Amino acid sequence: MPGMWWVVSAVTLIVVLSAYLVWTAHRVERVHRRAQSATRALDAHLLRRAAAAAVVAERADSVELYAAARLALDAGPEEREAAENDLTRQLATVGLTGTDDAGRALIVISRRVVLARQVHTDLVRDALTARRRPLVRLLRMARGYERPRYFDIVEPVMPQLPPASRPVAVPAPAGPVEAVAHL
Amino acid sequence: MRIGIVSPYSFDVPGGVQNHIVDLAEALIDLGHTVSVLAPADEDADHPPYVVPAGRALPLPYNGSVARIAFGPVSTARVRRWLARGQFDVLHVHEPLTLSLSMLAVLSSRGPVVATFHTAITRSRALAAAQGLLQMVVEKITARIAVSELARKVQVEHLGGGAVEIPNGVAVAKFATAAPLPDWPGTGGTLGFLGRFTEARKGFPLLRTAFVTLARRRPGLRLLVAGPGHRDDLYDDVPADLHDRITFLGLVSEADKARMLRSVDVYVAPNTGGESFGMILTEAMAAGAAIAASDLDAFRRVLDGGRAGALFRTGDADALTALLDDLLDDPARRAELAACARSVVGAFDWPSVAGRVLEVYATAIEATDGRVLDAEWAEPRPGA
Repeated sequence: MPGMWWVVSAVTLIVVLSAYLVWTAHRVERVHRRAQSATRALDAHLLRRAAAAAVVAERADSVELYAAARLALDAGPEEREAAENDLTRQLATVGLTGTDDAGRALIVISRRVVLARQVHTDLVRDALTARRRPLVRLLRMARGYERPRYFDIVEPVMPQLPPASRPVAVPAPAGPVEAVAHL
Repeated sequence: MRIGIVSPYSFDVPGGVQNHIVDLAEALIDLGHTVSVLAPADEDADHPPYVVPAGRALPLPYNGSVARIAFGPVSTARVRRWLARGQFDVLHVHEPLTLSLSMLAVLSSRGPVVATFHTAITRSRALAAAQGLLQMVVEKITARIAVSELARKVQVEHLGGGAVEIPNGVAVAKFATAAPLPDWPGTGGTLGFLGRFTEARKGFPLLRTAFVTLARRRPGLRLLVAGPGHRDDLYDDVPADLHDRITFLGLVSEADKARMLRSVDVYVAPNTGGESFGMILTEAMAAGAAIAASDLDAFRRVLDGGRAGALFRTGDADALTALLDDLLDDPARRAELAACARSVVGAFDWPSVAGRVLEVYATAIEATDGRVLDAEWAEPRPGA
């Protein structure tokens, strides 16, 4: 019965195709979720860096550094990248030594910003690659997700780890910033 | 932190990646973390307590060497069971782009994955052909580590991703305190070489040429060789009257490797290419040997641009001969190189390297959670 074979092949084809579609949709969802999480983590690290920089600025009486840290903390999404670049530049001119607690905390956080940004860039790239796939574009599988954006800042220099002595307490973003703001 | 590490290569045979994994695992355990290592290995063999054997592996030629790897349905089942039992905060795989346990673990994982790339494959047909499969693997990796600048460049060019460069670590104390072999290094000058002397890219023929030339002029000069290979292959191209001036140790254990490196005046690394990092150089540095190495990019970086070891033009036997001639006559220069090497090698000591790896773990976990952890994760947690 040749007709039977047609039915079997068609059903098999449909099953395989729909399995592939479901799998691809999952994949698209996963890469987008990853990129979003990485964005949140990077955001949190940048806030921590700005907060730690504000503490260092306060201790060192550095008006420029404090202003840059404050601007980075307050920046809206549009000017965020420029503000973070300014802060990176200010930190480079200060020259972090890590001789006191605040400086050491700032070095530890600055290193984490470099790593978080690296991971963020990779995960955003994966998501954008997935969006470009012909099948994904044809079926508009990515329409439910916001298009991930690279965070385009100058590569911050990775400072050397301070000589390991004891655990470094990292200030939470809220506390120290308020303390400085009330000056 | 609960850390699961996967080795692609069998623990039944020694190798650079395997040693790296053992040392990293031990450094992490010393820092107070819980570590489990899944590796292809014989269940009955003697392994450290943190190693979970995943069965025997098949030998396959790869990148100029023979790698023993495991891949298939049985291995997949074992990987999944290990992952389910381990409940790891982070999964750390090595060389995930080879068909291996590492790739299986990445494909089966659900949480944050950190991948370390050891080899610098400059051009690979396998990479180009299997782009679809590789993209699936890459998509599951959260953060990437490259052990050398070269390995990082391959990452960027072939996979379009970045990677954090963290060099191989070395157990400095183990090498610095080892006792030299009895009667070595002696007074007539001793050269050392460790590695596969039959493999062209290790450059042993250059050293052999230099040694034969120098040994004619220096009656006390001796050569100490260790590494896998047959002794006939070593001696065949050397004039018969010089045979007793070359000592061949065969394949040595880690402990004997340290003693061997402590037994030489000058350690020679005549490699002609293909070396992704130069692990042996950091070990020789830790052992306090003066080093003569070819000026490959990787070696130049490890040796701090030539301050921590003398460099000669890659592949140039005459340059090597002249350099060794100078070094053997100049104990002050050797001491200066060794002293500089000892300070440079501190950055490669395992505790400091493990600390940098932990930063990447934390970053991977945070990028998966979208929440930032306490910074103490990178610090020792007693009783954790």
